[in-house]
Amino acid sequence: MSHFYHFDTISLHAGQTVDPEFGARATPIYQTTSYVFPDTDTAASTFNLERGGHVYSRITNPTVGVLEQRIAALEGGSAAVCTASGMAATFCAITAILSQGDHIVASSQMYGGNVSLMKNTLPRFGITTTFFDPTDLDDLKNAIQDNTKLIYGELIGNPGLDILDLDAVVKIANEKQIPFMVDATFNTPYLCRCFDYGVNITIHSVTKWMGGHGAAIGGVVVDGGNFDWGATDKYPTITEPYAPFQGINFWEEFGPSAYATRIRAEAMRDFGATMSPMTAFLLLQGIETLSLRMDKHMSNTNALLEHLSNHKQVSWVSHPSLPTHTSHALAKKYLPKGAGSIVSFGVKGGRDAGKAFIENVQLASHLANVGDAKTLIIHPATTTHSRIDADALVAAGITEDMVRLSVGLEDVEDIKADFENGFRAARKFADS
Amino acid sequence: MGFTTRQIHAGVTPDPTTGSILTPIYQSTTFVQESVDEYLEKGYSYSRSGNPTVKALETKLADLEGGVDCSCFGTGMGATTATMLAFLDAGKHAIVSDVAYGGTYRLATKVLSRFGIEFTFADTANVDEVAAAVRDNTAMIFTETPANPTMKCSDIAAISEVAKSAGAVHVVDNTLLTPYYQLPLELGADVSVHSTTKYMDGHNATVGGAAISKSEEHGAAIRFIQNSTGSIMSPQVAWLTSQGCKTMSLRMDQQSANALAVAKFLESHPKVEQVCYPGLESFSQHELVTRQASGYGAMAWFEVKGGLAAGKKLMDTVEVWTLAENLGSVESLITHPVTMTHADVEEAERQRVGIIDGLVRLSVGLEDAEDLIGALDKALAGI
Repeated sequence: MSHFYHFDTISLHAGQTVDPEFGARATPIYQTTSYVFPDTDTAASTFNLERGGHVYSRITNPTVGVLEQRIAALEGGSAAVCTASGMAATFCAITAILSQGDHIVASSQMYGGNVSLMKNTLPRFGITTTFFDPTDLDDLKNAIQDNTKLIYGELIGNPGLDILDLDAVVKIANEKQIPFMVDATFNTPYLCRCFDYGVNITIHSVTKWMGGHGAAIGGVVVDGGNFDWGATDKYPTITEPYAPFQGINFWEEFGPSAYATRIRAEAMRDFGATMSPMTAFLLLQGIETLSLRMDKHMSNTNALLEHLSNHKQVSWVSHPSLPTHTSHALAKKYLPKGAGSIVSFGVKGGRDAGKAFIENVQLASHLANVGDAKTLIIHPATTTHSRIDADALVAAGITEDMVRLSVGLEDVEDIKADFENGFRAARKFADS
Repeated sequence: MGFTTRQIHAGVTPDPTTGSILTPIYQSTTFVQESVDEYLEKGYSYSRSGNPTVKALETKLADLEGGVDCSCFGTGMGATTATMLAFLDAGKHAIVSDVAYGGTYRLATKVLSRFGIEFTFADTANVDEVAAAVRDNTAMIFTETPANPTMKCSDIAAISEVAKSAGAVHVVDNTLLTPYYQLPLELGADVSVHSTTKYMDGHNATVGGAAISKSEEHGAAIRFIQNSTGSIMSPQVAWLTSQGCKTMSLRMDQQSANALAVAKFLESHPKVEQVCYPGLESFSQHELVTRQASGYGAMAWFEVKGGLAAGKKLMDTVEVWTLAENLGSVESLITHPVTMTHADVEEAERQRVGIIDGLVRLSVGLEDAEDLIGALDKALAGI
């Protein structure tokens, strides 16, 4: 086939062959635990991964499979494995290749759940992490140890929105023969296809922009198919025989999708953080409009950035697409369609002003999620980060007046008008 | 094959593409056609007209009910409406049981009457009264047995004879006993209707309905109305209902056993004025139910001494039992028909058919009978 489909077409069609039995246009929801075998020989060979096919929905499911293939195609990867949540994706992605005594080098600007996993949970199993400043790649180089088996970061960092320089990190990772994994939740493959730059693995909380409607929780690990696991002996889980599947060698059997297959054979089977077919169906519906939504997220974000930058009650606005942001040049390079729809800004009048703003907006929903079709807003100093002191807030890049915004798809004039409710209430603190 | 085997397997064959043991949820509006000439070759065009997941449930229910065709609807009222519209035109007349479900009564008196359809509400417990109500233009006799909430029963075979000689179809609302206990089509009726919301789902998860016909012709008439008026069941609801059906006989047996235990307890309680449960020997039509059904179901009602005030106090204080509409699910529910399910039936009509003000309706669920009885005992002690 000489013609490669474009993004919008892939987001509608990849992974789905029209149901052969009835011709159903939408993907059927295979809400079933198990699959009837035509005979015992087929059963045995399916069990042993000698042939494709479904055995039990903890491991594979046809509806979830469509979502996996669609995301892999959108990312340009070799294969994908969907999980019950974004955190499950991170956990499965790491434990597929790291064991006791191994080490991760990870960006310090990451979602708090991932930080906690690496700081508190994985050390209990002998996996340790050194965090590096994503704006200082010498810091990354210095953090790499002999037992470092993974480099991990978010393309658009949380909460400072610093952009990770993919080319530079890929260069370091290639030199050290270490896979580079990116949490691509904030960018989605529409804003940046990380594998195009040589990233080896991406993970997503599909709950966010990919699903886009705040309706279902899910995660995915995508195998870039571009890492040479056999180049060193550092990745025995991929390159050595795996006893539970009759000594199968993933690298020899599955080549570019060896990593994804290992996740399925071990993490899905043994940890069981499986995505439900219904969730996969809902997320597939969301992905069908991914590019349309992302374009609108970006145009609304840009309009609000301009509005907030000119607002007399706003002390500062942070977003990588603003020339004032330290990552502006990297944003232009890696995220030309837009640097995501997360914006933070300061309301004049400090902590009380930020709180008053949040409490008086009505359209924007006050909650701790991002990537919904609806505009979401939170005041980190009094909510997500309320239990840490002022010094620690600064270290985390959070100021007391900071309002974090996940820009939704409403008419931007309505969002602006709603914000005036917040600004009116915050005004009395700005004057004092 | 036996009912319990059929309630699991009828209508379901492993998915030929993947082997999936359950019918997939075909949440799809449309179906791709191979070619213009092969239109409908695979059986489906658009989900209003038919959907494979809904079809699996329809096949199962037709099998269980002993019919040849079944259409599933978005609600039980959807099934009743389509069935009435399929056989009643302007100028036609229907005889409806005077104790039919309040929603059926409302549909007849407030909606279909606007389209020139005439209704007579007859005491269908009395076959002679039904026969006397037949007119030249009578096209349907609609019964519900046992009826909700009075438990009044109608003789399905005898009324089917009346319908036959009048050239009318006999439609039986079989919701309360399900095909597990009662098979109206075998007894001579033409169409069985159900609120699948009740014992078929059984878990308070969905609302749905079904109309099962004994003849292809009647099935096609109902299907035509359904496709024309668009009252369809969603694939998701059909799938959940199919799951519920698999344990229908188990639930019915246990819930009925619980109901009998509760009814016997109430019958012996000094603060209870009267108890009505078809399984009690004191039930006035016990012989009829025993003849035409193989079980008595899990619906009952009783009246507390002290009338409405005492009944309200009991419903407000009783534990375990939930004050909520619906019936037939695993959760035991307690309701007051006069202010809840039958509020739209005029007072005079209610009094006439026996929906007395103090009537407390019970939908007995799957909890431990001891807990259900204990809770009623405690609440009665507080009156």
